[in-house]
Amino acid sequence: MTITTLKLNLGPQHPSTHGVLRLVLELDGEKILSCEPDIGYLHRGMEKMAEQMSYIQYLPTVDRVDYLAGFFYSELLCRIVEQALCAELPEKVRVIRVMLLELNRMASHILWIGMFLMDLGATSPFFYTFREREMILRYFEKISGQRMMYNYFVFGGVRRDIDYLEDVEEILSVLPSKLDDYEKLIEKNSIFIRRVVNKGVLEKETALNYAITGVNLRASGIDFDYREQDYLYKGFDIGKVILKEKDSMARYRARVMEIKESMKIVRQALDYLKKSSPLEQKLINPINLKLPEGDYYADIEAPRGIASCFVRSTGEKEPYRLKWRTGSYYSVNLLRKLLVGEYLNDAIAIAGSLDIILPEADK
Amino acid sequence: MLIKGTINLFKGLFVVFKHLFKRPVTLEYPEKRRALNNVFRGKPSVNGCVGCGICQKVCPTGAISFSKDENGKVTEYKFDLKKCIICGNCSFYCPKGAIKMTKEYELATDNKENLILSYKDFDI
Repeated sequence: MTITTLKLNLGPQHPSTHGVLRLVLELDGEKILSCEPDIGYLHRGMEKMAEQMSYIQYLPTVDRVDYLAGFFYSELLCRIVEQALCAELPEKVRVIRVMLLELNRMASHILWIGMFLMDLGATSPFFYTFREREMILRYFEKISGQRMMYNYFVFGGVRRDIDYLEDVEEILSVLPSKLDDYEKLIEKNSIFIRRVVNKGVLEKETALNYAITGVNLRASGIDFDYREQDYLYKGFDIGKVILKEKDSMARYRARVMEIKESMKIVRQALDYLKKSSPLEQKLINPINLKLPEGDYYADIEAPRGIASCFVRSTGEKEPYRLKWRTGSYYSVNLLRKLLVGEYLNDAIAIAGSLDIILPEADK
Repeated sequence: MLIKGTINLFKGLFVVFKHLFKRPVTLEYPEKRRALNNVFRGKPSVNGCVGCGICQKVCPTGAISFSKDENGKVTEYKFDLKKCIICGNCSFYCPKGAIKMTKEYELATDNKENLILSYKDFDI
């Protein structure tokens, strides 16, 4: 008797894969023997596009690298230019940026909770998380003009002074009770527990070999948070979230705890901004801006792992080469290892727990 | 295990049940709209342009174009909304504050020509 295996295409139009991820699975019954992720369906040529645009022309488009965490990528490009021209940021600009980045991280993690639960078949948390996320997005709209494509950070500062701080206050007061609601609804639900506990265990060595960063790494028990070394976060008290369980449940809990830690950072920033004087900043003139010849590199702790940007300049108006490093790209690659030996019905739950955003992986 | 699981399921259901008595979060869109504040970025409008061309240099998509006569004087300013991604760069870097982002965001039309905004009066 010969054992025949089944090749199954999961995606790219499967309703529960986020965006357009295609997984070619080899199945023996319901057990996964191998997994081959196929990405690129959302490739927009973000890197090649940069070579034909000046830095200021490219700046509005980088929000689209990851539409759930646009601020992080604008910050990276601004950081490259500021680094190259040795521009110093005023204290207030730094705090404004930290506050918006952390609010953006909260929005991204909150959305992930909804999406993850949707993957597991629960629909109500999806609506509740979108409601909470909307509060943050409305605030972003009030200060930047749009909900997701902010274009608020500019070279050397921010577009306009921060305002509507009472909205942030409201977000910080409302969110803890909502997180408690999620806990009642989700964390004690026995169906949820059975589908995530001891599923998709990510060992330390595997995580390091596959260059996993961010929450997924910290949920595997490795103490590494880039924010601690980041000059932007200087003076901020950053709580560590490190869990030892290594499974999907740990990744869920780490994200919920990280939302709470982000709230503390936002609180620190808010206290500073309430007392601060009106914004004074010296913006870099972007018209005919040319970076000095050389290589520039910057990184930041984005919601899906460390994001970094590399720019090689030959002294022209356009970069000679621009490269993004995004966390999701490495998480997608990890599925090759993580799904082997698991059952098909757990595949979506495990893939969901890694917080993969396809536009970010494809760029 | 079974009893504990059932109790927790009901606790979760209670959270869902509470939402039955809350006010709706969404608006019935075409009839009701939410208020937008002044920094909202919608369709751009131009008034008081001097034809310096800085907006053209900062536009990421090449949506802005000028027509010039034989003396090099700007005669027409065109804004192609088909290409515009409403990033607001032009309005931010305009030295005269001539470009404003309006609150108009419903740009669907049945004629492509309506999406090209043309301005001819200049303060030069």
